[in-house]
Amino acid sequence: MHDPLMIHRRTFLARSGLSLGGAAVAGLLARDGLAAAISATARSGGAADTYPGAVFPLHHPPRAKSVIFLCLAGGPSHLETFDYKPVLEKLDAQEMPQSVTAGQPIAQLQGQKLVCLGPRTTFSRHGESGTPVSDFFPRLGGLVDRLAIVRSMVTEQINHDPAHTFMNCGTALSGRPSMGAWVTYGLGSEAEDLPGFVVMTSKMGRSPQPIAARQWHSGFLPGQFQGVEFATSGAPVHYVDNPPGVSSAHQRDLIDTVAALEHHRLARLADPEIATRVKQYELAFRMQASVPQLADLSGETAETIALYGAEPGKATVGTNCLMARRLVERGVRFVHLYHSDWDHHGGIDKHMREICPPTDRAAAALLTDLERRGLLDETLVVIGGEFGRTPMGQGKGAEIGRDHHIKGFSMALAGGGIKGGIVHGATDDFGYNAVQDVVHVRDLHATMLHLLGIDHAKFTVEYQGLDSKLTGVEPAKPVKALFA
Amino acid sequence: MPRPSQPVRHPACGLLAAILALCSLSEGWGGAAAQGAEKVPDFTRDIRPILSHNCFACHGPDEHDRRGGLRLDDRDAATAELDSGGRAIVPGKPDESEMIARIHDTDPDTIMPPPESNHLLTAAQKETLAKWIAAGAPYSPHWAYVAPRPHGPPPIRQTDWPINWIDAFVLGRLEAEGLTPAAEADPLTLVRRLTLDLTGLPPSPAEVDAYLADTRPDSYMLLIDRLLASPRHAERLAAWWLDLVRYADTVGYHGDQDHSISPYRDWVIKAFLDNVPFDRFTVLQLAGDLVGPAGNEHSDDPVLASAYNRLLQTTHEGGLQLKEYRAIYQADRIRNVSGVWMGATVGCAQCHDHKYDPYTAKDFHTLGAFFSDIDDERHMDKGGFGGQNLNGLPTKRDPEVTIVGPFDRTPASELDARIHSLETQLPPLVLPPRAQPEEPEPDSVVASRIELDRFKLQRKQLDRSLMITRPLATPRDVRILHRGNWMDETGPLVEPAVPAFLGRLDTKGRATRADLARWLVTPVAAGGAGEFTARVMVNRIWALFFGGGLCRSTGDLGGQGELPDHPELLDRLALEFVQQGWDVRKLIRTIVTSRTYRMASDAPDDLLARDPDNRLLARQGRWRLPAEGVRDTALFAGGLLVEQLGGASVHPYQPAGYYRHLNFPQREYRADTDSRQWRRGLYVHWQRMFLHPQLLAFDAPTREECTAVRMRSNTPKAALVLLNDPTFLEAARKLAERAVTGGGGSDDERITFLWKNTLSRPPATEELALVKGLLDRRRTEFKADPKAATQLLTVGIAPRDTSLNEPELAAWTAAARAVLNLHEAISRY
Repeated sequence: MHDPLMIHRRTFLARSGLSLGGAAVAGLLARDGLAAAISATARSGGAADTYPGAVFPLHHPPRAKSVIFLCLAGGPSHLETFDYKPVLEKLDAQEMPQSVTAGQPIAQLQGQKLVCLGPRTTFSRHGESGTPVSDFFPRLGGLVDRLAIVRSMVTEQINHDPAHTFMNCGTALSGRPSMGAWVTYGLGSEAEDLPGFVVMTSKMGRSPQPIAARQWHSGFLPGQFQGVEFATSGAPVHYVDNPPGVSSAHQRDLIDTVAALEHHRLARLADPEIATRVKQYELAFRMQASVPQLADLSGETAETIALYGAEPGKATVGTNCLMARRLVERGVRFVHLYHSDWDHHGGIDKHMREICPPTDRAAAALLTDLERRGLLDETLVVIGGEFGRTPMGQGKGAEIGRDHHIKGFSMALAGGGIKGGIVHGATDDFGYNAVQDVVHVRDLHATMLHLLGIDHAKFTVEYQGLDSKLTGVEPAKPVKALFA
Repeated sequence: MPRPSQPVRHPACGLLAAILALCSLSEGWGGAAAQGAEKVPDFTRDIRPILSHNCFACHGPDEHDRRGGLRLDDRDAATAELDSGGRAIVPGKPDESEMIARIHDTDPDTIMPPPESNHLLTAAQKETLAKWIAAGAPYSPHWAYVAPRPHGPPPIRQTDWPINWIDAFVLGRLEAEGLTPAAEADPLTLVRRLTLDLTGLPPSPAEVDAYLADTRPDSYMLLIDRLLASPRHAERLAAWWLDLVRYADTVGYHGDQDHSISPYRDWVIKAFLDNVPFDRFTVLQLAGDLVGPAGNEHSDDPVLASAYNRLLQTTHEGGLQLKEYRAIYQADRIRNVSGVWMGATVGCAQCHDHKYDPYTAKDFHTLGAFFSDIDDERHMDKGGFGGQNLNGLPTKRDPEVTIVGPFDRTPASELDARIHSLETQLPPLVLPPRAQPEEPEPDSVVASRIELDRFKLQRKQLDRSLMITRPLATPRDVRILHRGNWMDETGPLVEPAVPAFLGRLDTKGRATRADLARWLVTPVAAGGAGEFTARVMVNRIWALFFGGGLCRSTGDLGGQGELPDHPELLDRLALEFVQQGWDVRKLIRTIVTSRTYRMASDAPDDLLARDPDNRLLARQGRWRLPAEGVRDTALFAGGLLVEQLGGASVHPYQPAGYYRHLNFPQREYRADTDSRQWRRGLYVHWQRMFLHPQLLAFDAPTREECTAVRMRSNTPKAALVLLNDPTFLEAARKLAERAVTGGGGSDDERITFLWKNTLSRPPATEELALVKGLLDRRRTEFKADPKAATQLLTVGIAPRDTSLNEPELAAWTAAARAVLNLHEAISRY
């Protein structure tokens, strides 16, 4: 059992819903190893309902067991966070050279004069590595020796909705699984009473860009790999509260009666779906207890609450980061946090001053807290948005901002298997094009999968005749320079 | 096989012989060879799947990405001399065939398939390929690209088994496999199955009793005909069709605003109700704006149907690039029209020639060009900032019309007549001259004026907006976009055309959507693709009644799809469909009449083990109902279901805050507070980005793309919906009320009432005892805690029968919840 490739054997995703009797699912998964994995478990004497993940055994020893993706939704400016550009600073208010922008896709600045906008904040060097990080992010700056900063990200979609889809699914086409669904499908989950893939959202006061449930959909993978959205207020998960007038004991009695009736039928009709359903009801009941427990932050110390800036009962980035820690602690495989309102076409100064401090505090707290609990080594943390922002300004005066930008932006990674204190890749002097060690979204996916023990090229599901991968059909590679 | 930069090695003489000798030692080659002497591998069944899955990505139809000049999907190319001088396939001579040498190679640089492809041939596959080459390497075209041919049924021994010709095909196969078909399902199972399959709802207890008591020899046929004529049947088929064409009530991208589309759904229902032939059904949707109404059609029908072209996802996100979205819309339409009518994945040819099927990138763009006359870009003017009311609910997606839905026509014309009559009777309204006292009108006139206003208001409520198709005078240019890149405008302009390998349209001037639609449904002999289209459709209709198509990949009949398990039956069904005038109802009647359909779905263990997916059809299928069916059966059992055909979408209870991420505008979901709360699932507001969690939990698709097969998961999320969603609690409460007031005096009778209204059958003794136990425990508790009883009974807006004892009714509600949560309640056997 100490074989690192077998680390995921203990996983129990089946309890959260793999319907082994379902012919449709069996057909879907026939060629991708899931059936083999399941029969391997069955042969090894494992319980028939354990789902060890489609990648079983893993392709190589994993460096991380779970992922927390803190998506700064709306497209945070790399030029005010992780990518300091002194040349751009000097060129402030001057016309952007046409050689840089000619023939490039442009969003809201279409047809307008393109003028350089220097960084709107100062940067300070931090840590042993002396990496400059914006003074909007002092706490993350303080942890820079834990971070691998990628300054050469590129994506292919310039509008929010398709860009999120691209970041999550590796394609802008609808109907494909998101990375959280892929990862839970590949690895299963170690959370016994919780879904393997959890999504939480927070936003600031403004009117942010919408986020679609497509972003955590399971696409052509079975429905049980779909992300489950947890709310911070009200019922944490849809329909998880007992009906009015129904006590927990009453609900238990109902489920027991239903199970007895199902067994009565099962004794007369060998329909494995009935057996599966009884298990699902059992898990549903346990979730009804475990989800509220998870959402109850009263067991956290005042120090921890303050560290995150969490506000129990309120969907803030602090609360959600704390929840993310609690989720991975309980074995949840993939936690996707969306913190919205980074779409700063105008008023970037004001809005960054509002949104950065709580984000900085929460993200730094998450890394610190994971580390002191010994969880950071096995948790991959990714911080970044669906794209970056233009080196050119949009608007004027106090209302100046930046437009969407896809040709070069930044992301920060930390935790399981990541080498801290490094900067990978670079944009040009303007912060426009990624010019060195370019990291495509696909490469980020390949990197993430690699750290989890999965070779992205071998992790396929046949869909519409194609061996579909999270990383798609174009070449992709894990960014080995980021590995510890 | 050879990759470009590498020299191709000539196979060493005798290498293959050595390998084969090795095989024979280690894997019993001798036995296999003896078998092989009897049976040459069949290209379609045995060879093509190996080649397609492992080789075609680099050696297939896509000429731009072809490696080493080798093409294996075409016999002439595969046997031709390669750049290297060798031949991949030398018919009759496996040991001279480069392919055989390379698949046995051990050098990672030269072995095929190459290691980086992650494909690995098994020893058996290698052997099959060698045997096939030894037999002369015969090719046959992919089955789905050969037009359906007439096949007589195979000879059978048990000649008294078939009821119609379907059965002969099925039985022939079973007898060849040494299997016996299952016995006929018992009448109770049969009436429930047929009613669920044809209408999406269970039979009422009275309908079950009537059927069981019906001793007429043709009682089953009479049942079929009653159900086929039912409006519920039209609704059931509409729900299936809406999945295919991706009907939804919202735009799908960015702000996911509502858009004006529901009259199209009504048209679909009406078309199935009127049994509009499928060929006409096709032409009206793709090109209603171009063809106009036929003799028997209402003048609005083609307009309503043409909304098909507007079902795609759209956006007006600020900063969008018009040309980018023009390409995205085009691709969306191509994926849908090819998915729905051709069972093909032409969308894969957007950036390159298709890897597995003969669709080229040019075919993709010429198919797209049919749709380049659709006037639908006004909402994208000025990067999405140009239009008016774009962030309204509904948004504005020009062109739109105000129209009366097909089920509202009679009330609308009645109201029009009344309004006209009143208006002509009433004296004109005259404003009195200033400073002159107004003379009051007589009471009767005032009353008529009030009535007139009421009629006008009622009439106005029947008007609905609908996005329609309107052709541009000059279609937009369509270029071949290299690698699908919308910024590259160097590609050649193309004209509308059908995929080249499937034929050519003979039109005067530029071909139109009407030409495309007619081609899809014109028989092959007359230059169309009709029988191909028919095969795609009959396969899907078959799946509605057996749980899977005769070809299991109902969405993809192409090279990477699955082989049909009963290809001759599939062909025959397709031909009959065309010959019978594309009569959907007749096709369905034939299918459900068959003995194959009537078989029991239960099967002995050895059969389950041998044929777990039921491909051989030695039994019927069994499955959980689709999401809408789960909802509808609960409402039905609770006596809540409101049956009204058509209308705007409805809003069932939904968890608070579910739409909190939507913006432009921000919105709050308002659940209906009237009888719309209890309408069928088909009418539920379909929010693409946030589909109702009740539907999502039971695998309803978001309808962003064509959905030919719904998954059937079995998850705790689904359990939580049935346990705690107010819709199901309310249904339980009303079912309990019905049981208490009309289910008889004793507990046993009332439990029997619950069972019959939910499962269509009476409970077994043990089941009675289990439910009575639950009932008694709840009685005691609710008596002790009447407040809890009241709480449970106030879920949902359905009025409560206040004459009933609350703790007693709450206890019965608990019992009703138990039966509504049974797997059987939401399953079809």
